[in-house]
Amino acid sequence: MTASEILSQPETSKQTEAASPDRRSALPTSSGGTFGRLMRFAIANIRRRPERFVLSVLGIALAIAAVTVVRTISTSFAITGGDSVTNAIGTHSIWVVPAQGVTYNSAAGALVSDGPPSGITLPGGWTGTEMIAGLWHSPRGQVAVYGVPGTPTGRAVLSPQLAQRLGVADGGTLQIAGHTVHVSVSGGSPALTVSPDLAKNAVGNVGWWVADEPAADHGRNDLGKLFGTTVGLPFTQNPAQTPDKDGKGLVYDTTTGSGALSFAQKYASAFSGQVTDSTLGLISIIGLVLGFVIAVSSFLASVQERRREFGIMSSIGLADEVLYFFLVESGVVFVAAWLIGVLGAGVAVWAVLPHLATPAAWAQASATVAAFLPAMAIVGAIVPVHRLLQQRPVALLTD
Amino acid sequence: MLKYGLAYGLLSSQRRAREMLLPAITIATGAFLVVIVFAMSAGIKKQAAGLGHADEIGHAIVLIAVTVLLVGVVEAAVATTRTIAHRTRELGVLGATGVRSRPVLVALLVEPVVTAFFGALGGAVVAAVAGVVLSAVGAAKSGVSASGTTTGIVIAVAVSVVAAAVTSVVPIWRAVNRPPIKSLSAS
Repeated sequence: MTASEILSQPETSKQTEAASPDRRSALPTSSGGTFGRLMRFAIANIRRRPERFVLSVLGIALAIAAVTVVRTISTSFAITGGDSVTNAIGTHSIWVVPAQGVTYNSAAGALVSDGPPSGITLPGGWTGTEMIAGLWHSPRGQVAVYGVPGTPTGRAVLSPQLAQRLGVADGGTLQIAGHTVHVSVSGGSPALTVSPDLAKNAVGNVGWWVADEPAADHGRNDLGKLFGTTVGLPFTQNPAQTPDKDGKGLVYDTTTGSGALSFAQKYASAFSGQVTDSTLGLISIIGLVLGFVIAVSSFLASVQERRREFGIMSSIGLADEVLYFFLVESGVVFVAAWLIGVLGAGVAVWAVLPHLATPAAWAQASATVAAFLPAMAIVGAIVPVHRLLQQRPVALLTD
Repeated sequence: MLKYGLAYGLLSSQRRAREMLLPAITIATGAFLVVIVFAMSAGIKKQAAGLGHADEIGHAIVLIAVTVLLVGVVEAAVATTRTIAHRTRELGVLGATGVRSRPVLVALLVEPVVTAFFGALGGAVVAAVAGVVLSAVGAAKSGVSASGTTTGIVIAVAVSVVAAAVTSVVPIWRAVNRPPIKSLSAS
């Protein structure tokens, strides 16, 4: 007889009960389906040792909170990284960075170049431009300045957020490197856009090249190779690769190529990887392992204390089905721990990292952590059940 | 009576040393991380600065290391619930023979506190030795701070002992205040 048959027995024995009304009161039937009964069984066991349940949930919740905080930071970095590369290079197919590389400046909220643009000549048919991109130490903090050809001399374009930070309004004026420029508030880029000459005056000769392929080469997935070979620079589609310090620069092919992810997505991934691969990521993973140890240890203790109960179940043929009891109990523990853990992480992020994380990043991180839970809950249930099933029912009953 | 409770707890802790091994290891892991984070704070700050928001990420690293230590300590409290379950009859006998609840509480608290103390100390010592070794072989480029190591050891041991006592006291209190007849008749 299987567990589901045993568990559904009250329904199947209705005829017998109808024949003897007195037995109905003696053996009350339980309502709900199999899952409902398993839930009641799990809750009954939790109520038997409430302090152990609370402690297990607390331990796992702390571990989940640690991982969620790290994932929130890493997701924020991913969002920032994706946005910053889009703001820096727009939709251009080729991005040529100098040998010194580019850096994300957290104060400015944008990518800036660490060296002068590579000395290249655009191949025939290609369109492109040298772009100044550096850091301006304004009286109101660090600001990324992009020198974009086509921007009228004497005009600065900036986002409403940056305008507020610099204390200027649309139509007002701004002093940059001794020049007075008229402010135009538009767009959402965190960088201040001015003419290339003014940008060079403000931040020096630092920047990169952006380029686009000739119409005849549209759709090719080897644009980086084509461009890099012609200008004599190494090329890649991998944003995690950085230029050789002793070289002349690096060509990034920003087209999708043969992969499914866009360059901005790959850049975002590399950006968030800096967090997950750092000390933070390592410590949080160790925390999660310890949380899992607590879950397994708690279930093993439960098995040890309920040996006779499981011995009886095994002896009536419920040996394999004991797994269901533990799966449901494990699920309850992990879901409760996840809820408390992600809420705790939200509070911790809000209190400790107010400028770094956003609610969207926290929600995304909570969903990512939730993806670990089924595997942990299942393995956490299987380990004690496996130990239990290694013993004969008589051994469980005689202890 | 309390000193008898303490002596009884120490003797039973010696007897149950094997059961205390897993919680001691989990606490040692957390303590190791806390001490390493404090000892190598200069290198970690440098790494945090590379990620931007150096101060905030630096605080987050300390917060997460202490959280992991607390995860390790919770295992000691879970082990205490296991101990209580194993010793239900023993508690019933003590209650039935007139031993008051306070010395029994002290006796049962000894186990998680001793586990937390030695676990944290063990992890902290391993971390300190690892710091010295890493510094000697040049793996810790930003150096290992002696004052940071000391701070880490003090924090790891203090947090472990206090957290173990706080998380264990409720299940122990419930167990020692159960009527002896119930404890004696438990299967």
